[in-house]
Amino acid sequence: MIIRPKDAVKMLGVLIMCACAVLVCTLFLNSNIDLQRIKDQITDPETLIIFDLVVSSGNMTSAVTGLALGLTTVVMLLFYVKHYIDTHKPELGILKALGYSNWKIAKGFWVFGLSIFVGTAVGFCLAFAFMPAFYKSQRDDGILPDISMHFNPELVVYLIIFPTIAFALLSVLYSYRKLKRPTLELIRGKGKVKIRKAKNGGKEDLPFLRDLKQSTLRSRFSLIFFVWLSAFCFSATVVMSFSIGELGGSDMMAVMMAAIGVVLAVTTLFLAVTTVIKGNGKTIAMLRVFGYSDHECGRAILNGYRPITYIGFAIGTLYQHGLMIMMMTLFFDDSVMDLPEYTFNVQAAVIALASFVVLYELFMLVYSKRIRRIPLKDVMAEE
Amino acid sequence: MIEITNLAKTYGTGDNATAALKGVSLTINDGDFVVLLGASGSGKSTLLHTVSGLERPDSGSVKYSGTDITALSDDKLTAFRKEKVGFIFQQYYLLPNLNVDKNVKMGADLAGNRDYRKIIEAVGLSEKLYKFPSELSGGEQQRVSIARALAKKPKVMFLDEPTGALDEDTGRQVLDYICKMQKESGFAMVMVTHNGNIADMADTVVKMNSGKIVDTYSNQSRKTAYEIGW
Repeated sequence: MIIRPKDAVKMLGVLIMCACAVLVCTLFLNSNIDLQRIKDQITDPETLIIFDLVVSSGNMTSAVTGLALGLTTVVMLLFYVKHYIDTHKPELGILKALGYSNWKIAKGFWVFGLSIFVGTAVGFCLAFAFMPAFYKSQRDDGILPDISMHFNPELVVYLIIFPTIAFALLSVLYSYRKLKRPTLELIRGKGKVKIRKAKNGGKEDLPFLRDLKQSTLRSRFSLIFFVWLSAFCFSATVVMSFSIGELGGSDMMAVMMAAIGVVLAVTTLFLAVTTVIKGNGKTIAMLRVFGYSDHECGRAILNGYRPITYIGFAIGTLYQHGLMIMMMTLFFDDSVMDLPEYTFNVQAAVIALASFVVLYELFMLVYSKRIRRIPLKDVMAEE
Repeated sequence: MIEITNLAKTYGTGDNATAALKGVSLTINDGDFVVLLGASGSGKSTLLHTVSGLERPDSGSVKYSGTDITALSDDKLTAFRKEKVGFIFQQYYLLPNLNVDKNVKMGADLAGNRDYRKIIEAVGLSEKLYKFPSELSGGEQQRVSIARALAKKPKVMFLDEPTGALDEDTGRQVLDYICKMQKESGFAMVMVTHNGNIADMADTVVKMNSGKIVDTYSNQSRKTAYEIGW
């Protein structure tokens, strides 16, 4: 078996994504299960309304977070599996040449499910570390009776075991599909080059570096998604954490939400930019061999993502605004709870934008420096 | 004129150290066609890489019209490659997501060359202007890489086994194109090859073995790509 558990652990992005999803879901679902235990003690109709409100908003938060992060994890996992196959074509081809069937090789990809296991387990444990403070923050208003924290084993099944099995299975099936290529093609490390042509077939007379910038963008749509997602996560969660604070939510929730957003943004941006640089290593080296400066290389390879990033930020900000309005309308409009009116927090959006600009441009600066370290001779060393 | 003096380069350290160049000295005149001939591991590719500014030697100097490129900073070395040299590699290294026109434009834009399509025409690819590298044969891809290198109007062209991945007919055709272009443009040409027959096409032949020059001679007359053996 050439796929080792070490390869699965390398999938830091998937691991962090799972940990964040499970952390949020465990906090809310565990709390909801524990709340159900005290439902019989509530006799006051107004308290019962608040009880239902807390439970349904917890369920919704878990569903939205779980679904959004879960889908992103699927995209990320498939991306990693494809990337693994693309970078290990000769080894996989030799296995096929030796007589290993596609199915037998694909079965080895179950280990990618390990990253899901590690990620979900970490998220689950973290949730229990935060749980006492989370429960305390929910009891702060004194409306609902005290609830004690319990370990609910069914959550282990739903949030750790099921996802691990499902993602391991997905890895196996997807790799099986991707391995269906001629053996020689794999051994030679070549395959059909998927070219995404420009709308006019590349006949437009643009300066070379602009052409290169556009073709770099076109060549990997998944990376556009990740860069977009990074900015989206950052703006949506950071701005929302300010709004939660303003609406009287617990500081812990606000800080946790902002922290999750920043971690997700950094992880996805790291994944995307590293892949862009690695995937274009030969192109960058060739440009430098010909005499293009490091600055020009960086501009051609990285700058195309900038507008997408800031569009992602804008959409993320609007999304959180819409979500807050929806939450307020659905859950708190007719509630007995006395909440301040929600308004869009311009100051929070500006702070989030400023910090994102710093983060993003710092990333670009670091990776522009990395371009300088790509050895020119690597281009010539290949057979 | 390129003056190479006492060039030395060692890869690895301690017991794993391998001396690729052991004090190589050579002079290449403007417009010369020099072939570096030698077996695998003789140091010919290392010499080409150090003379072209892709790699730094451990010691020695490489002077282009008096300027020692081994003493240049990375940025100045990049600017030197931009202005002075062109490269043609065995594996072409075309950019897969750009068509023939754009690949050649990569070289042309560096020299502000707006007439680069004439070069594409000269290498016989004007019909395939909007084809992508994966849609071309090996010989056609190598012709694109020749056009790309020529489009930047180099003073010196470095070729690393340019026919190594081609069959005999295509290889002769490619060599013929290169020599025609050299005659027209007048740049100096340094070609690495292990094919002794190609040496008959050069002005000067430099034979290398174990990191040293073992023989240098000049041909009285240059043969064409169709006159040499293969």
